Amino acid sequence: MYLKRKKITQLLIASGVLLGSNFAFANDNDELEKLRTLVQELDQKVRVLDRKSELAAEEAVAKKKETPVLVASDKGFALESADKKFQFKLSGLLQADQRTFLDDDTTTGVAGGNLNDEYLLRRVRPTFSGTLFGIYDFRFTPDFAPNTPNVQDAFINARFTPWFKVQAGKFKVPGSLERLQSGGDIRFVERSYVANAILPNRDTGVQLHGDVLNGKLTYAAGIFDGQADGGSSGTSGSNNGDSNKDKEYALRVFAEPFKGSDTIFDGLGLGIAGTTGDFSKTAGSLANTNYRSAGQQTIFQYAADVLGDGQQTRISPQFYYYYGPFGVIGEYAKSSLDAKRGSNEATLDNDAWQIAATYVLTGENNSFKSIAPKRDFDLEKGGWGAWEIAARYSELNLDSRAFTGAAGVRFANAASTTKSAESWALGLNWYLNKNVKIQTTYEQTKFESALVNVRDRADEKALFTRFQVAF
Amino acid sequence: MKTAFLSLSALIAALAFANPLTVSAAEVSLLNVSYDPTRELYQDFNAAFAKYWQAKAGDKVTVKASHGGSGKQARSIIDGLDADVATLALAYDVDQLADKGKLVPKDWQKRLPHNSSPYTSTIVFLVRKGNPKAIKDWDDVVKPGISVITPNPKTSGGARWNYLAAWAYALKKNNNDEAKAKEFVGKLYKNVPVLDTGARGSTTTFVERGIGDVLLAWENEAFLAQKELGPDKFEIVVPSLSILAEPPVTVVDKVVDKRKTRAVATAYLQYLYTEEGQEIAAKNYYRPRLESVVKKYEKQFPKINLVTIDSPFGGWQKAQATHFADGGVFDQIYQK
Repeated sequence: MYLKRKKITQLLIASGVLLGSNFAFANDNDELEKLRTLVQELDQKVRVLDRKSELAAEEAVAKKKETPVLVASDKGFALESADKKFQFKLSGLLQADQRTFLDDDTTTGVAGGNLNDEYLLRRVRPTFSGTLFGIYDFRFTPDFAPNTPNVQDAFINARFTPWFKVQAGKFKVPGSLERLQSGGDIRFVERSYVANAILPNRDTGVQLHGDVLNGKLTYAAGIFDGQADGGSSGTSGSNNGDSNKDKEYALRVFAEPFKGSDTIFDGLGLGIAGTTGDFSKTAGSLANTNYRSAGQQTIFQYAADVLGDGQQTRISPQFYYYYGPFGVIGEYAKSSLDAKRGSNEATLDNDAWQIAATYVLTGENNSFKSIAPKRDFDLEKGGWGAWEIAARYSELNLDSRAFTGAAGVRFANAASTTKSAESWALGLNWYLNKNVKIQTTYEQTKFESALVNVRDRADEKALFTRFQVAF
Repeated sequence: MKTAFLSLSALIAALAFANPLTVSAAEVSLLNVSYDPTRELYQDFNAAFAKYWQAKAGDKVTVKASHGGSGKQARSIIDGLDADVATLALAYDVDQLADKGKLVPKDWQKRLPHNSSPYTSTIVFLVRKGNPKAIKDWDDVVKPGISVITPNPKTSGGARWNYLAAWAYALKKNNNDEAKAKEFVGKLYKNVPVLDTGARGSTTTFVERGIGDVLLAWENEAFLAQKELGPDKFEIVVPSLSILAEPPVTVVDKVVDKRKTRAVATAYLQYLYTEEGQEIAAKNYYRPRLESVVKKYEKQFPKINLVTIDSPFGGWQKAQATHFADGGVFDQIYQK
């Protein structure tokens, strides 16, 4: 097109020159000047047309960038509008575990021995999530791993401003730091007692949350149906219906005072979380409250007729620190529950704590989230992914008043005699790439019996191996 | 047991802080999202800053740059372009980052000297050698038959400065008669054969494609075109009145906090105010702020009678709403 116009212009110029010569020959300078002007005007018009067509082509390229795009990346699969205000994403988490119990104690009268080794699906969670109008997020995550599939997350989150967001539905209660870490990002195959036994997991409710001071302080304040220690709404039944008629209030504040400072304190975070609620109107018993070992064995349950008899309050100071390849996370949680069994009434104080350190051997930056390998595992190109070692110590301590009295009186059920568990764990995590992880944890637990005439539960020596795909 | 937890936590924290692993040089990258004609300025500046930062902090910093019409660039940042710093053509575009994107605080302009504008510029005319159409002032630009090249004020910051400079001249000439100013600027846009999206595009149209009799240009862009292509091809004409353009700079808070680049991004902008930074600006034909550099380059910049965005336009928010918002004066003029 451009060349064609150029030729026309040249012809016009040539004809102008020829005509001009004729007229000049005729000594008609005015006519020559008019023709020159005309040619110049035509030349400008041709140039403008060319430029406009050039700009139109540039605009077409720019517009192409505005059409909705289908994205497939390590973050999952998504369909999104060009301005990203409308998004629909499919992501997922699949964990296939092997659980082996070593050195089984088969001594007569010792509980917790001779445990079954097993292969199991720990989490099978497709997630459908998205955003509408750039503000309203939604997320729906079922879990097909349990015998009865359940809804893990189903919520709407409206991000009105960074400091004012409203979330409603079923989601993680703002409590345990390790619980708030995604199930695909945890550094040990199983979480510690703080997340699993004391603080609530997921619940149905509504919360206000956000971050202030340029993200240095985050807060979440919510009202939920209320869960017993380690409980999760809908784990064994409906996501609807409140087992205790009053609501439970949760608050969590977490500060990262040096965030963005480019100093060694940049990755330091400190916080406190707590819940409180009146459990005196509990409709059912607390028997479903399940305190489990790392090997997911039930080590304590209340008797079937134990009821809430007042306030349940939990508090949990927590911190993490990440610097280069090093990371440490620690949290403590204490739960106080007014309980009764017949005429036996008491405030039961249970607590747990954990401290865990990790180090990425291959030099990647450690963080609360997963590790992104510098070089993916690739035999042909010679990459080995990222390797991380981990160590943890954690404890669970149950109130000795739960074991006071005869079997028909005390709060603990007849089979529950363990009052404390002390666990240490070592882990080796191999991140083949951002999405695939092979994780091994060895965790050994020593139990202490609350009853003098009952022997301690057998030490649990559990070796876990996990193959995980998260996208 | 709780005390054991606390003691152990304190011990680990103390060990971590007391023995702060090996602090090694890091590689940092920044993205500077800028307006159209700053390519050469930031090419020089980025190289100088990288040297400065390596000497000061020991870190290797790589600054990538993105250039385009200022308004368009602001929209890109709001839409998710991870700009560590924005160096745009006018304060209104940075205000959009605060108002629409919530990416910077509303008082961003107070964070650096001179309302966060480390250098200034103005609007001049670039004409072809010999000034064949005898363009000397704004009155000549609006004459019938004069072909004027200027970008689209909807997308380009430079174009908005051009428009407002013409408006200010018309107001002064017509005793602040807004209707006459509108008519004057309307005549000007009747003479515009093609609207580019940014100032650099207009320079291409005028200089490389050979379209038009006069380019309304940033002073720095006009000097640069003359330097690159030779004074034998173009001449700069200084109008009797123009406008003081104050291109602002800011760190994009949301991005630097996410990318953990606040310290280096802030240092990058502060470096613009140093003697070296100001010298680089002046060498690239931006008017410096630092007195010593102003004196050194005094002869380079002609003295011009300048209005500001505050007077007679009442600031950027008002000027934008009146002239460049959808349905504003520009739309009315250009649709005619």
